[in-house]
Formats: sequence, C-alpha cells, structure tokens
Amino acid sequence: MADPHVTLRSITKSFGAVQVIPPLDLEIRHGEFIVLVGPSGCGKTTTLRMLAGLETVTSGAITIGDVDVTATPPGERDCAMVFQNYALYPHMSVRNNIGYAMKVHGATPDEINERVSEAADLLGLEPYLDRKPKNLSGGQRQRVAIGRALVRHPQVFLFDEPLSNLDAKLRVEMRTEIKLLQKRLGTTAVYVTHDQIEAMTMADRVVVMRAGIIEQAAAPIELYERPANKFVANFIGSPAMNFFDAEIKDGAVLIAGQSLTLPKERFETLGNRSKVIFGIRPEHMRSSDHAVDLTLVPEALEPLGAHTLVLGRLGSDKITAQVDPRFPVEIGRPCTVKVDMNMVHFFDPETEVRL
Amino acid sequence: MTRDTLSKHAFMWPAFLIVLIVTLFPLIYALTVSFQTVRIVPPMPPEYVGLRNYAEILESGRFWNAIGVTATIVFISVMFQYVIGYALALTLHHNVPGASLYRVAFLLPMFMAPVCVALIARMLFHPVLGPVNEFFTLFGLANIPFLTNPTLAISVLIVIEIWQWTPFVVLLMLAGLQGLPNEVFEAARVDNISTWRRFRDITFPMLLPLSIAVIFIRLIEGFKVIDTIFVLTGGGPGTSTETLTLFAYNEGFKKFNIGMASALSFLFLIVVILFGTVYLAAAQRLTRRYQ
Ligand SMILES: Nc1ncnc2c1ncn2[C@@H]1O[C@H](COP(=O)(O)OP(=O)(O)OP(=O)(O)O)[C@@H](O)[C@H]1O
Ligand SMILES: [Mg+2]
Repeated sequence: MADPHVTLRSITKSFGAVQVIPPLDLEIRHGEFIVLVGPSGCGKTTTLRMLAGLETVTSGAITIGDVDVTATPPGERDCAMVFQNYALYPHMSVRNNIGYAMKVHGATPDEINERVSEAADLLGLEPYLDRKPKNLSGGQRQRVAIGRALVRHPQVFLFDEPLSNLDAKLRVEMRTEIKLLQKRLGTTAVYVTHDQIEAMTMADRVVVMRAGIIEQAAAPIELYERPANKFVANFIGSPAMNFFDAEIKDGAVLIAGQSLTLPKERFETLGNRSKVIFGIRPEHMRSSDHAVDLTLVPEALEPLGAHTLVLGRLGSDKITAQVDPRFPVEIGRPCTVKVDMNMVHFFDPETEVRL
Repeated sequence: MTRDTLSKHAFMWPAFLIVLIVTLFPLIYALTVSFQTVRIVPPMPPEYVGLRNYAEILESGRFWNAIGVTATIVFISVMFQYVIGYALALTLHHNVPGASLYRVAFLLPMFMAPVCVALIARMLFHPVLGPVNEFFTLFGLANIPFLTNPTLAISVLIVIEIWQWTPFVVLLMLAGLQGLPNEVFEAARVDNISTWRRFRDITFPMLLPLSIAVIFIRLIEGFKVIDTIFVLTGGGPGTSTETLTLFAYNEGFKKFNIGMASALSFLFLIVVILFGTVYLAAAQRLTRRYQ
C-alpha cells in the first residue's frame, strides 16, 4: 500500500494464557478513516488500546509515521483518543477540559484560547464553555471529548464507540459531524464500533473482525457487494442476508425444490456443485434484467413505511424478503417474489469463503 | 386529625423521645452540673455557682496550656497522617509488587487498642531499657529522655498518633482512589500528562471532598486523644503533655470536682466546634476553587 501512516505488523495480545488477538496485520493510509467493526468481545477495543499504548502488545510491532512506537508510552505517540464514556475531567469546565493538555504542554494562553474557541465553534460548544461536564447532555459531553482530541492536532484520532451512549437521532447527526470533521482536518482516524451502519456510513475502509481475526478489510461498498465470506455477508447489511443450502446444476440453483436460473457467465465461473451456501439479501428480492421467481410462505409482516419485510419460510429455512408496501401478500398463503440473480452470493459450505 | 398525621406522630414521637433520653438528657444534665460545685469526695451538697466554674477554667493557665498541647499534637499528627497516608494509598493503588501484603500490614496499627499501643511505645522509648535508646547509643549518643523532656515527649506522642492513625487515611484514600474512573486517567495518559500533573490536576481535586472529610474526622477524633497520653506520660512532665480530655479527666476523677469537669467538657465542645467550623470554612473555599 502506498504511503502507510499507521501499520500493525503481526501484533498479538494475550491476557494471561488467553490469546485474544492472534497475529493481526493492518496498514492505514494517511488521512484514512478506518472503522473496526465486529461482534462484542472480538478484540476491537483491545486493538485500539494497543494502538494508543494503553495496552502493551504481546508480540509484533506498531509504527506511526515510520516511527516504531511499540514500546513508546501512550503520551508520546501523538494520538488523541475519544472514550465511550467520554472520560472528561469532571472538576474542570468545558473550556479547561479542552485546553488542559495544551496548558500542561506549555502553550500560551492566547494560543489555547484561539484553539479552544476554534474547536468550540466547530462543535457548537460556545454556549457551554464555562459549564462543568455534569451539567451537559450526553451529546454535548461527547462533543467536548471530541473537542479535547481535536485541539491537540494529533497524528491519529482513536475513537472507541464514541456514539453508543447517545440516542438514535443524535447518533446519526454526530456520525456525520465526525466524518466531516475528519475529512476537513485530514487526520488519520481509527474508529471502533459494533454498529455496522455506523461502520458503513463513516468508513473509507471497514475492518470486519471476529475473535481477533480480520475477516475482511475493504471499502463499504465492496464489503456489501463482495463479502469475503459468510460471516462478513451476514454481519454487513440490515436486515441480514438469507442463507440456504443449495445445489448448482445445469445453470440453475436448486433450493427447496425450486429452480432459480443463474446468469450464464456466473454459472460458467461456478460450474456444477452438489453443495453450496446460497446467499441473497432481502433488498435484492426485486425485479431486474435477470429476475427469477421464488415462492415462499409468509409468516409475519413488518411494514416499515418505505417498504415491507416479509418474514417467512422457504422449505424449512427462515427467509426475509423486502417488498413494496403495496405488494399483495397474505400470511399463510404462499406468495412469489422476484429474486435478482445478479446480486446473489455463493459460499463454500466447508470454508464459508466466497465463491 | 386524619390517619396520615396520626401515623406520622406515631413514628415521630418514639424516635424523638429516645433521642431526648439518650443524648439530650445527659447533655442537659451535664450542662446544669457545670453551673454547680459538685464534689463526690468528700461529698458536698451541690451548690449553684453560675458561671464561676467557667471563669475559673478560662483564667487558669493550665486550660490554655492544654489547648495548646492538644492543638499541637492534633495538627501536626493529622498533617503527617494525611500526607503519609495519601502517599501510601497512591503507592498501593498502583499495584507495587506485594501490594496485597502491604495493604494488610499497613492497616494493622489501626486495629490495636490505643492503650496497648501506648504500653508498647512505653517499652520502646524507655530511657534505659528501650530499644530506641539502645539504637541511639550504638552511635555513641547519650541516653535520650524521650518521655521526660517536654518537647521530646510531645514528639513521641505525635509519632504514635501518626503511626496508629495513618492506616485510617490509607484505607479511606485507597477506597477513594479505587472509585475514580479509570478512563479519565487513561485519557490523561494519552494526552501526555505527566504523573505529577495527573496527581495535582486530576487525582487531588477529584479526591478533595474525601480528603476534607478524612482530615475532619481525624481532627475531631484527634482532639479526644487521651488513652495513649494517659498511659505514656500521664500528662507530664508537669502538665507539658496534658491535653484537654486528660485535664478534664484529672479534674473529674483525681480531684472529683464534677462541676469543674462538666464545665471543661463544654468548653472542650466549644473548642472543637470552633476549630471544626474554621476548618470547614477554609475547606469550602478550597473546594470552590475546583467545583
Ligand atoms: N484486561 C483483560 N483481561 C482479560 N481479558 C480481557 C481483558 N480485556 C479484554 N479481555 C478479553 O478480550 C476480548 C476482547 O475484548 P475487547 O474489549 O477488545 O472486545 P470488543 O471487541 O471491544 O468488544 P465490545 O464490542 O463488547 O466492546 C474479550 O473476550 C475480553 O473478555
Ligand atoms: Mg469495546
């Protein structure tokens, strides 16, 4: 990769005898917004804390801007971190919270004032500058924490689930704000979340982790369109992708007694297979230049306004389909939906790797 | 009267009466006694003397000397207790090797009865037999009259107070430290704040309310010091280590002058309230700088 800014080279982490991060490699470009995403306990926070220096690495090396920082204490790595529960200094006003590190490092009062008001302006914090953190709302506190990171003009921003304590609406607002801010400043950022929507909307590149292993690191669209394996396919996208055991034979996919014709070129690359995992996203059950019919038995409906989710069964497997709100469907009576065969995925039944 | 107010009274009065009987009555009784001359030995009928007991005490040099002695012991020892206790708590909090052993060892002095502590100290500082003196003679020093020289005697008492009550400060400050949010300090570490500045700007202000409470408790408790002094020096040499409580004890149980002892107790109460109020006012100004 050209011009990596931060590199993690075969870093591992063990707590006692338990290895939570097996060797992990990652390169992050200058100005890139990387999001680490994965289920709870997969080692996202641990990875981030190792990058910050709050956790020592068991083996491997970390470099930031060509300097090996593996053994460097956190303060000398020039990273700024935003914590999930804000970690503001409770006895200091917002102004002092933001300016404290600068003050300790010998900045002049004018300089501090200037940067604090710059950050306050950017984050809309002017009205609260003289308040204590306890007198702020969650969103305001989070912005103070971000402001505290901003004013240091660090090389790298580290965020550990900064939005998870906020309500849904504020979360949506803040994620846009953070993203815009990072782009404007051009600072490299590593952002941890377990919310895949946050990951998809904010990242230049999403790193999907499971049990300390990077399953796939790719741009959001790539992740969505070409998931590297079943885990990623299942994790990314909401509602989740449907999976079925299927067979590919004579240019068609056979599932639960139904035959779905594949586009010609797709079949040519796959060939006949007696056992595959077939994946289709609910939103890809729609008309297209290569749509085929699939019949399912609806069991429940979830009208969401813009579209309706049909939860049902295909044979004995569960299936979710996303249909038009006016699509005629009745619970218990089999209905037929279109499946866009350009958008289907196949995975190896043994390794679960994309075919 | 509605049922509500009735049950209110049913709950209120027993509590009020118990408080009255258990605390207020003895207090009021002591107050009336302090306006009388009451002698048990030889028995004399109580006689109302107004404020004469108080006047007599306030005019006596012994009372003012006792205040001076008490204040010296309390302020110096509490200062050291706080500084040493806080330092030990910080060390233990940062998990030095063997911290759990130290944690127990440091607390032991607090659990000992002050009388035992004083007896041990009396042996330790014995002018002829004590190991402390033996230690000094190793360096060719003459026997040091630890308990018979006024300055040294007060110093020994202060050292014992520190030894015995520093663990209390350690215990409470350690609890306070462990209750502080970890992330705040991690944030400071990431922001390259030095250990000293982290203590000065974060730990200390965050634990200031606790510090104030701990010092307050130690001050109030310290003013009541009697047992160690009673055993160790008996207030001597002369009255040079006589504290307020010991003075009151001597009046009450050596001279059996109960009226005088009661008056002294009330003056003691006033002194403690006075010091306490001044202290809290000062502490409040300090917290306002942070909160
Ligand atoms: N100090 C520790 N001692 C022992 N095990 C730990 C420690 N910290 C984390 N772990 C373990 O390491 C694994 C990864 O934890 P980590 O906090 O990195 O997960 P995470 O991906 O951030 O999860 P979440 O989304 O729930 O925050 C977990 O299984 C956890 O139990
Ligand atoms: Mg985490």
